[in-house]
Amino acid sequence: MAADTFATVAGAAAEAGATSSAAAGARPDWPALARRARVKRAAGQSALLAFLLIVSLPIILPYFWMVVISFTARSGGVSTEVLWTTCAVVVPAVMIYIVVHLMAPSPRVRMVAGVLLLMTVGALLASLVGGQLHLANYRFLWRTNIIEEIRSKATAGGQFPSVWIAFRNSLLLAFSQTAIILTVASLAGYYISRFAFRGREAFLQGMLVLHAFPAMTLIIPIFLILHWVGLLDTMAGVILVLATIELPFYVFILKGFFDAVPWDIEMSAMTDGATRRQAFRLVVLPQIKVGLIAVAVFAFIRAWEEYIFVRTLLIENKNWVMSLYLFWVSDDIMGVDYGIVAAVSVFYVVPSLLLYVFCQKYLTQMTIGGIRG
Amino acid sequence: MARIELTNLRKQWASAAAVAGVDLAIEDGAFIAVLGPSGCGKSTTLMMLAGIYSPTAGDIVFDGARVNDVEARDRNVGIVFQSYALYPNMSVLENVMFPLRFKKVERSEAERRARETAALVQIAPLLDRRPSQLSGGQQQRVALARALVKRPHLLLLDEPLSNLDASLRLSMRTEIRRIQRELGVTTILVTHDQIEATTMADRIVVMNAGRVEQVGTAKELYERPHTLFVATFVGSPPINLFDARAEAGTLRVHEANLSLSGAAGGAVVLGIRPESLRVESAGTPARVTAAEPMGREVLYTAQGPMGVVRFLEAGAEARHREGDSLLLAFSPQESLLFDKATGQRLEAHVSA
Repeated sequence: MAADTFATVAGAAAEAGATSSAAAGARPDWPALARRARVKRAAGQSALLAFLLIVSLPIILPYFWMVVISFTARSGGVSTEVLWTTCAVVVPAVMIYIVVHLMAPSPRVRMVAGVLLLMTVGALLASLVGGQLHLANYRFLWRTNIIEEIRSKATAGGQFPSVWIAFRNSLLLAFSQTAIILTVASLAGYYISRFAFRGREAFLQGMLVLHAFPAMTLIIPIFLILHWVGLLDTMAGVILVLATIELPFYVFILKGFFDAVPWDIEMSAMTDGATRRQAFRLVVLPQIKVGLIAVAVFAFIRAWEEYIFVRTLLIENKNWVMSLYLFWVSDDIMGVDYGIVAAVSVFYVVPSLLLYVFCQKYLTQMTIGGIRG
Repeated sequence: MARIELTNLRKQWASAAAVAGVDLAIEDGAFIAVLGPSGCGKSTTLMMLAGIYSPTAGDIVFDGARVNDVEARDRNVGIVFQSYALYPNMSVLENVMFPLRFKKVERSEAERRARETAALVQIAPLLDRRPSQLSGGQQQRVALARALVKRPHLLLLDEPLSNLDASLRLSMRTEIRRIQRELGVTTILVTHDQIEATTMADRIVVMNAGRVEQVGTAKELYERPHTLFVATFVGSPPINLFDARAEAGTLRVHEANLSLSGAAGGAVVLGIRPESLRVESAGTPARVTAAEPMGREVLYTAQGPMGVVRFLEAGAEARHREGDSLLLAFSPQESLLFDKATGQRLEAHVSA
């Protein structure tokens, strides 16, 4: 009641102010201007959010569909019913959350709304599609001869290997890539950044050109070279080839990071009694931690997703990596059992997704050749 | 603590000589300032002393031993950079302890010494922080502690105060001086700020274009500059300079004729400091064109037969206005004459 009265009085005062200002013709109408700015900001934000939502749909939807298929599809075919039901539940929920976010600035209201929406979505999904979810498509994780069961015979040279062999090979490839690239690129980047030597400029330009040059054109020579040196169809061969092709880019990136580390710090370390190597390890490297993490993540994921070179250079099924496993699975049973293909895809995507989630903080800090402020 | 000698020290870069023959002797425990404009080779000299650059020619001698080929880490030199160059990945304590890491000092002993040094420069409460959490003045103290913790033979300060604000600069000046006296460490301060050099150092080395112009106390540099460069660089507001011709006992400056005593002939430059000029009942006539109050004194600009001349008068308020005519006098001892071609000072004086 009291609040009401106050509001009326305030409104009257504001009105009186507005008329008097109009009469004076000099004082701007501050409340109206503030209102206009608020409306404009809210409109701008909603437009931006709507735009982002629309453009991210084509990216999110296929992944979402992949996950849905992997948990729902049964042998024989795939229905889009679950996908659309889920979308019909999730999309309005997201919209409502956005509206709440725009209307309520307080974090508590936002959180409560978020929790309520999550619970509603969970309950709705459980009742609408819960009965159709199952894990049968993931049976490839513990059974090896799954393709033979479905097709009676796999085309990929005899028996299908366990997915864990491919998983192990992929990890081996990705980790050794990361290790080689981190070691070589940090040392080379430091050297190029700090030392003047004959041909430095040409070297730098050469590295950029190498990166611009499509590595695919080298695939036949590389195949022949590996064959001659006896590294064809070995993990070591693929690791070396991939590292060689990727290195110039990472050397260049890390050189930029080293450029941003002031010389003073190194000089200071050396007058403090450190050798150049100690100064590098104790003082310079910690400065480019963000760059090193970013390079490590990119190198890892790049090797994890590699397909063309492993497809060409690895032949026997004991040497398969995840991308080859996925390829042969889809090659053999696409059109027969989408569920397993989708499940393998999900299994293949999860590690790189996790890596991104955990390192996202560092990746967003990285600007090429710079250092955070 | 060490006695430092530089003989004919040179550093040649690909394009030019940064240091073109420096001779200098610094007594044990002295506080020396190297003063000069940017690019005069003062920082390069410092880097050669620290062992980061190696000289193209000449000798660096610590206590009678040539150290040219001794590596930076073995010279036991402490250095404070203009940027402080603290290690951002380490805490303040780790920063201060860093130099002891490479000496055979036990961890507990190293920490004791680091804390002792931290107390000396008054950063004891900050030891757990990171450099990024400190203000400029605090970072400066940390850098000083790090340079001092290993008890260096020689302390090098590369424009240590130029990143601080005015009041902090004032207090750090006295602070650095106090610490230097307390430890008795031979110290070289590189600066382009004459106030810093004159207030902190026992002796000042003025450098220009890779050479030493003059070595002396602040008073010597101010009163008896050896060269035109030193006369121009030392003193604020800057000295009045007049192109002049000396002939048989007279000096012709613009439209004025002054009487000349001493050996001087041909094209010379006459220098008179603004504070040497006084308004008196007799002297060179001049008309005031501008008055700039500077606090305790007023700087006037005036136009006379010698050309444009600036002079100082004590007092907060301007006693002369624009357009006032007055007579300016100076004592012959305070007039400086330089050879125009060589820049060397001549043993001659003028009077109005």
